[in-house]
Amino acid sequence: MKKQRSFLMVGGVNPPSVKLSPGGERIANASIPAFALIPMLQHAGSPAVCLVRPGDRVQEGMLIGKADGVRSANVHASIPGTVVRVEQATGADGTASVSALIEFGGEFARTGKPRERNEWEMLSPTDLLGRIHSSGVVGLGGGLLPTHLKLGRQAVHKAAFLIANGVECEPSLHADVSLMREKSREIAVGMLICKRILEAEHLVLAIGQSHEEELAPLFREAFDDAAQCRIAALPERYPQGHEDLVRKSIIDLAAWADGAGTPGAGGRECVVLNVATLFAVYEAVVLDRPLIERFITVTGSAVRRPGVLKVRIGTRVGDLFEECGGLVEPPGKVVLGGPMRGVSVTSLDFPVTKGVSGIVAFTRSEARTGPEVPCIRCGACVEACPWGLVPTRLHKLIARGSITAALSEGLSQCTECGCCAFACPSRIPLVDSLRSGKRLGALRHHD
Amino acid sequence: MWTACEAGNGWELCAIMTESNRGMASPQLAVSPAPHVGGLASSLRLNWSVACCLLPAAAWGVFLFGVPALEVLAVGVGTALLAELLTGLAWGRMTVRDGSAMVTGLMVGMLMPPGVPLYVPAAASAFGIVVVKQSFGGLGRNWMNPALGGVVFALFSWSDAMSRWLPARGAAEGAAALSPLSALRNALAGGKAAHGGLLALLGANGYPWSAADGRVVTWVNGHVLSILGASLPRGAFDMLVGNIPGGVGVVSVPLLLVGAAYLLARSVIRWQVPLTYLVTFCVIAQLFGGLPMGRGWLAGGMLFQLFSGSLVLGAFFMATDPVTSPLTRWGKLIYGVCLGILTFFLRYFGAPGDGVPLAILLGNCLAPLIDRSTRPRARPSGKAAMA
Repeated sequence: MKKQRSFLMVGGVNPPSVKLSPGGERIANASIPAFALIPMLQHAGSPAVCLVRPGDRVQEGMLIGKADGVRSANVHASIPGTVVRVEQATGADGTASVSALIEFGGEFARTGKPRERNEWEMLSPTDLLGRIHSSGVVGLGGGLLPTHLKLGRQAVHKAAFLIANGVECEPSLHADVSLMREKSREIAVGMLICKRILEAEHLVLAIGQSHEEELAPLFREAFDDAAQCRIAALPERYPQGHEDLVRKSIIDLAAWADGAGTPGAGGRECVVLNVATLFAVYEAVVLDRPLIERFITVTGSAVRRPGVLKVRIGTRVGDLFEECGGLVEPPGKVVLGGPMRGVSVTSLDFPVTKGVSGIVAFTRSEARTGPEVPCIRCGACVEACPWGLVPTRLHKLIARGSITAALSEGLSQCTECGCCAFACPSRIPLVDSLRSGKRLGALRHHD
Repeated sequence: MWTACEAGNGWELCAIMTESNRGMASPQLAVSPAPHVGGLASSLRLNWSVACCLLPAAAWGVFLFGVPALEVLAVGVGTALLAELLTGLAWGRMTVRDGSAMVTGLMVGMLMPPGVPLYVPAAASAFGIVVVKQSFGGLGRNWMNPALGGVVFALFSWSDAMSRWLPARGAAEGAAALSPLSALRNALAGGKAAHGGLLALLGANGYPWSAADGRVVTWVNGHVLSILGASLPRGAFDMLVGNIPGGVGVVSVPLLLVGAAYLLARSVIRWQVPLTYLVTFCVIAQLFGGLPMGRGWLAGGMLFQLFSGSLVLGAFFMATDPVTSPLTRWGKLIYGVCLGILTFFLRYFGAPGDGVPLAILLGNCLAPLIDRSTRPRARPSGKAAMA
């Protein structure tokens, strides 16, 4: 094990993580919302085309937004009922898209009914891909890239690895671990389905080191043949769970294991899919169930009983706190996503979308931040950056408008993981600055 | 819960709360860019912890040299704070609170000889704050350590006053107070050579060690070292605890190390610079230090050199100044080596002072070059072309 370390992440930080309350790690079903607000844009790409009008009756899982071209994803009704409104609404991240408000009513078409299992082994890769596409599965780890793109893109040349990413990236978020604990078989089937589509050589499950003992036996059991899937335990230092870092670590580890040195990039393609995405693939292919709910960690010091919930898409964010024992005090800041990369919201009246992996409620005192003071060149950001950048220098270059110089020093490598800003003792909003620099660089590129 | 409202232009209006939830309604939520958790370190606190860790050694100076030492410290700190305040008022940027002026003033005072005319620390502090720091844009933009800039300014302006020392406590009455380093220079210039270490050389020249030193050294030699067949020369105890003439805050190496240990443990300072600095200097001093004294190879007396002058204060508290030292780990290691080499040459081949302040200032000049040559290479993220 010692030797492996050299292949793993460099840099990174150890942010504080809020623990779940006892029993909170068991996935609880959030109650069915009386209203669900469902945006047509919940994925990377172009918004879906809304198929319903006010007054329409919808069934649970009915298609209400049709993917607009290949770089888009289908959107489904998460509850049965009546469409009340269809209007432009602004999402938590500030992008506006057409959204449908559904008032709950009528009967569940699927929930509580015995499910018919599809014999997915009989289907061709194209059919499998079609099901994933029609079910609106997107990357639930945060990328939100429609999954059929990720799987389909590789069809030309075979992938060497299919990696299931179960390394929780964000501190305080634990939903992926809960999911792996309770749905290991389903995830395993999801992996096999994707392996079939990609004709991948190897399956690898990447998990955090501290969960290896608990989860590894579950997955060994979940696969008929334990040799089908390798399990790689990666350190839990933020941002190890980032897709690119997981990919890099697994490639390096495999090369080390084979004794073959660094593998060439050609012919050794890797596809990384989050475990929640793989579960959604399973549901889509085997149970014909579209993506209408997702697993969310509701946590933060302001939440009384932090836990993992299964939530219908479109549920109001503010309502989820009630499911977790309510709030200890009025929160000072609420973040959709995790504490390192999430979006802070102005109100609790936003819907849960496919991209919301967690809801973190900070107390007032936590929300207060110190004043920004001048950079003292301490180098903390340099040590924290997992990509070997010099954030303080990039920040200064961007501030004085030298975008070209910043790009030549690797600005485009920045993944906005937030390590530099977290480590900065001067509280300089480095991520914000680097992001704006990247945007300016992209604009110039287009000119 | 959401309810559909009667009228409105967008979802904001439709997403009103029901009565039951109104108690918790519309909390004032802060909005800020990610990340939403911050590290534990704070630049504002860093300077104050450095200042606190300097205090034990400064207090030792006051104990050793009495009121003159206190006056020098007070004038150094007072002038620095005043200069920071006035320049802050002039440029509309109040920065006294960040503690950097406090550290600058304290360091200036600690590097001064006690009993120096009080305009010297005042001028050094003012020069450090106004010229070296504020005129370049304040904390974080100065390319030279303000305290060292001020002290070197004083060294060149008032070199006589800067090398007149006060005798330490318990030193023989009426003896001329010389710091061990200047005494060594005099002894070598006098052409007297002695066998044994540098302390023996000083002893042969009648260096006034304290009575306490005599008692301790005799006791240790008699009770402990006699078993091993070794003996300590006179002056070992004085050098160790810092009972010697010297700068107000530089003489007590143990108390400086206590402060430095705390700063290292709290990661306020990093180990790279002090370690490479001291190791490089000691190795070179031991190897070649004897040559200019006509004592041959490997006879430099590195322990004597380590405990004299402002080497320890400089290595742990001034060379580690983040603003004027390189950014990366490798850069810091190289920087420490450069400082060790520079200090050796400046100390042995006659510059005013003990070579440390000038060496670190020259190192400050090298820092940007070191930064440029040790810039980390961006690790490609291996990002698949997701278009």
